[in-house]
Amino acid sequence: MNPFKAVWGLLFRLFPCPIQTGVVRIGNPGPDSPVLVTCNFYTTVRRLIRTLKGVDAWLLVAESKGVNVWCAACGNEFNTRSVVSAIKTSGIEDKVTHRTVILPPLGAAGISAAEVKDQTGWHTRWGPVRAKDIPAYLAAHRKRTEPMKRATYTLGERLDTALGSMFPFYFFVALGFLVFAPHLLGYFVGTLVATFLVFIGLCPWIPGKHGWQKVLLLDALLGLALAATSVWPVPADIPVRTILVMAMVLFALHGGELGGLSSIWASDFDPFMARLGLRSIGNTRFAGTTRTDLLIGARVLTHYPEKCSSCAECINVCPIGVWDRNEHKKTFLAHREACTACCACLKQCTEDAIEALAA
Amino acid sequence: MFSYVFMKLLEGRPESYDRRVERVSGGHIRAIKEQIVDAIDPGTHVLEVGCGTGELATMIAARGATVLAFDASEKMVAEARDRMAREGLEEKVTVQSMAVTAMDRLDAASFDAVVATLVLSELTRDEERYALRHAVRVLRPGGRLLLADEVVPRTTGRRLAYQAVRLPVLAVTYLVSTSSTRPLENLPETLRHLGLEVLQEERSLGDAFALVVARKPQQDKEVEA
Repeated sequence: MNPFKAVWGLLFRLFPCPIQTGVVRIGNPGPDSPVLVTCNFYTTVRRLIRTLKGVDAWLLVAESKGVNVWCAACGNEFNTRSVVSAIKTSGIEDKVTHRTVILPPLGAAGISAAEVKDQTGWHTRWGPVRAKDIPAYLAAHRKRTEPMKRATYTLGERLDTALGSMFPFYFFVALGFLVFAPHLLGYFVGTLVATFLVFIGLCPWIPGKHGWQKVLLLDALLGLALAATSVWPVPADIPVRTILVMAMVLFALHGGELGGLSSIWASDFDPFMARLGLRSIGNTRFAGTTRTDLLIGARVLTHYPEKCSSCAECINVCPIGVWDRNEHKKTFLAHREACTACCACLKQCTEDAIEALAA
Repeated sequence: MFSYVFMKLLEGRPESYDRRVERVSGGHIRAIKEQIVDAIDPGTHVLEVGCGTGELATMIAARGATVLAFDASEKMVAEARDRMAREGLEEKVTVQSMAVTAMDRLDAASFDAVVATLVLSELTRDEERYALRHAVRVLRPGGRLLLADEVVPRTTGRRLAYQAVRLPVLAVTYLVSTSSTRPLENLPETLRHLGLEVLQEERSLGDAFALVVARKPQQDKEVEA
């Protein structure tokens, strides 16, 4: 336990928080114990160790540049090469007699299971999406139930990812108030907490498909309230108008990139940058990637049933359940509208049966 | 005092990479490469780990050796292949796209020298050990391993000075490229542990850079994994 990294990984998740790659013993593992692959984000590894108490397993920590599984896989930092490297260089080959790794399905956008097998000879299986399901999954002889395959975005997950990603913004704005307008700091913190809880708590039910649409709606309501303050009297000792403007800005902060915080909604930020024509900032690419092309409609996820072997890998890795099987056990694209363009299905398909076809 | 961590910023543009690293390092890296080339005998077969744009491979080939050069970055491999075609060295230098984790596919005792500049510091610690183990394996008895890389300085004062120079560059590099490097620790000890004889360790850049030359014994000793 490293207190600095614990706080950093919790609140400054926009920045990486790496931990050394390699093998971590969970409980008292032996040569037959399962090998679970994860990223080298400090918080993920700590949480896995905590969640897997009572389980005997080998945790294989693979390079993801200190970023969580989902974000690192979508950004291609947690990929086939990371897993191949972890298998071949960590010494796990000498610790177990079997040759099977359990991969995190939220890493499927970066890791090709077929290529891992090809380059290492190890078999791969997709584990449950959530760490808390791993003990039950292992106890059930590595059988995943349907809910284990799909991502959720529960209140706890929303609070965790929203605070973890947005805290630096909140922190620096608060610091600005402390320096330049200390008399408003209390109002800012109060408005911040209230708007955060309202938005993150209620966002699945606030109308609007995208985060920014939800923000527009809330800000329109607050705009009406602001207009009303010129008609109706407001308490003289409370800066009501300032608070309302703060709330409008804060809703935009909480919700501007709501999609990017979850694995069930698509990013709003990347397609926005792509529409502006911005190709990249540093190594972060926007325009011209398959993912953003799918999100802005420049490409369309396309399935070729005649090439498809119905191996079901796309069904196994899609966190949303975009793919399904029909009554003849044939794979088909069932919920295109829910696709977040993570491209995990494209990554896994070995038959070229899935393509991001130029529109 | 100097740190090569900024090179991660320049990797996105392989065509200008060498020129820019050269300029920022004030000729240091070129001088190191020349020292490596001087240690290569004509007519030998050399493995270059992490060849980047192929500059060193070109220099080694010009000396009359043949080179198998590989890099994990496809962009760099493309640039290196273009360079070999431009300079008519395709016969002497083979460029492959592969990561160090594929070094187990190379034949044992098949190279007279293995060279790597600014490569190990880009790997994880496990990958570094793996790459070195296989570098030793693919060397012929009597063959030499030549490594040039950023290392942790040996005294506390120099370590502090090094960090003072490195950290701001690291921060900018990270913010722009989300990547960084890791200075190596105890390189000569690691090589001795792998059964090599360390012939030379030359430090530069305020003790933060090392050129290490090691030899695989003629009588193949038990190599510790």
